Amino acid sequence: MPWKQKARDSGSQTSAFEGLALPLLPSLYNLAFWLTRNATDAEDLVQETFLKALRGFASFEPGSNFKAWIFRILRNTYLTSRAGLAVNRTISLEDELSEAGESGPAQYPEAAIDRHTPELNLLQIADRDALHAALETLPPPLLEVILLCDVEEMKYREIAATLEIPIGTVMSRIARARAALRATIETQRAPLGEFRA
Amino acid sequence: MTDHLTHDLMNALVDGELTSAQLADANLHLASCPSCTSYALHQSLLKSATAKAGQRYQPPPDLKERLARLTAREDSQLQARVSSPSQGSSPRRTWGYGSLGWAAAAVLLVASASMILIQRAAQRNETATVERAALVTEVFDQHVATLAGNLTPQVVSTDRHTVKPWFQGKIPFSFNLPQSLPSDTTLEGANLAYLRNQPVAELLFSIGKHRVSVFLRQKSGSAEGNEWANEQSGFHVREFSTNDLEIVAVSDVDPARLAELLTAIKTAQTGEPQQSK
Repeated sequence: MPWKQKARDSGSQTSAFEGLALPLLPSLYNLAFWLTRNATDAEDLVQETFLKALRGFASFEPGSNFKAWIFRILRNTYLTSRAGLAVNRTISLEDELSEAGESGPAQYPEAAIDRHTPELNLLQIADRDALHAALETLPPPLLEVILLCDVEEMKYREIAATLEIPIGTVMSRIARARAALRATIETQRAPLGEFRA
Repeated sequence: MTDHLTHDLMNALVDGELTSAQLADANLHLASCPSCTSYALHQSLLKSATAKAGQRYQPPPDLKERLARLTAREDSQLQARVSSPSQGSSPRRTWGYGSLGWAAAAVLLVASASMILIQRAAQRNETATVERAALVTEVFDQHVATLAGNLTPQVVSTDRHTVKPWFQGKIPFSFNLPQSLPSDTTLEGANLAYLRNQPVAELLFSIGKHRVSVFLRQKSGSAEGNEWANEQSGFHVREFSTNDLEIVAVSDVDPARLAELLTAIKTAQTGEPQQSK
């Protein structure tokens, strides 16, 4: 009977959804925690993401990128939360202005590139606490792009699909995120350097 | 290649995003440029260190089970919704039975059909109630977020010819704004917002000193044009739909004044002369 077939389809869809979504739980939770900075909010965000994704799973095209799809749902769910709305609105103008200045070929003044990489700086990068602190200072648009790129190992086009932004913006945000991380680490290093001098 | 590698090229190099031709050029340059080689090493170390440092938070051990239970519950609700057995295949067989058997079968059929209808109606009501409660919460949250800290709208304008075009390319539908608003009512601006993971237009009005958020979203499926009202923490939430749009408003203003504004918005969607361009 058709209704039984539908019910069976629904059951198999749910198990297909679980098969795809549950392995991504650690990644989704990690990003949720970074965005919300709070265990309870992170859990709520992940749960809401799962429910929304399950309800919309029928619209997911098999063969397309499930990871990018569910991360996009998580991000949009975060953006509609109170914290997300406040953060997004505060950051977006600054972000749009900076990115407007980077339109066209992304050429950076070579003078702005610190090509000297002191050994101490390299050691500082290896210091996980220092990097945690540096990551925590990143504004959300830069933090999410660097987490998707480096932690989730997403390709630029996947990040662009997840964040619904052009690839050029992904590249400029990655460059700015890494520059900001380097700058923060460099600042953390300064007192130690002065002490040694 | 004599020029140093740009930041973008350097990042694309460590992220494995260069084409084979770009990679060959970059390698050629790196072979003769110690500073870029050192910088590339630096970027590469930063990437791997970020990958480790960024993987910081582990979900609680029971979260996976809770999510599995949640999806199972959601699944049973979905199945209940699609469990609408088609009728009409068996009644003809009962013609050959005696009148008593026929009557008993008819009674059973009517009883079971009634049960199914009652059950389906209850499920529909329950689903609608849950969905409505979720919508009220989302709308209320966004309205409070808009009020919090007196944040500036993404587009600040009292001109409907500025606010409406601002949404072009941002939302997958269009809408009309009233040519004239009720007295003491002003259009303050608008935000691009999200409801149920869909982009929506959030129009911001003030009625006297009260703020009103009106969310316009694309109508989903063939939802009926029902209207409903709800109260949440002293705020009034109203929803109605037009042919193409579902419109939800939230405010703490007097309900009668809110109704005046909503009537103006509803009328503007019908294509009468007062609609905006």
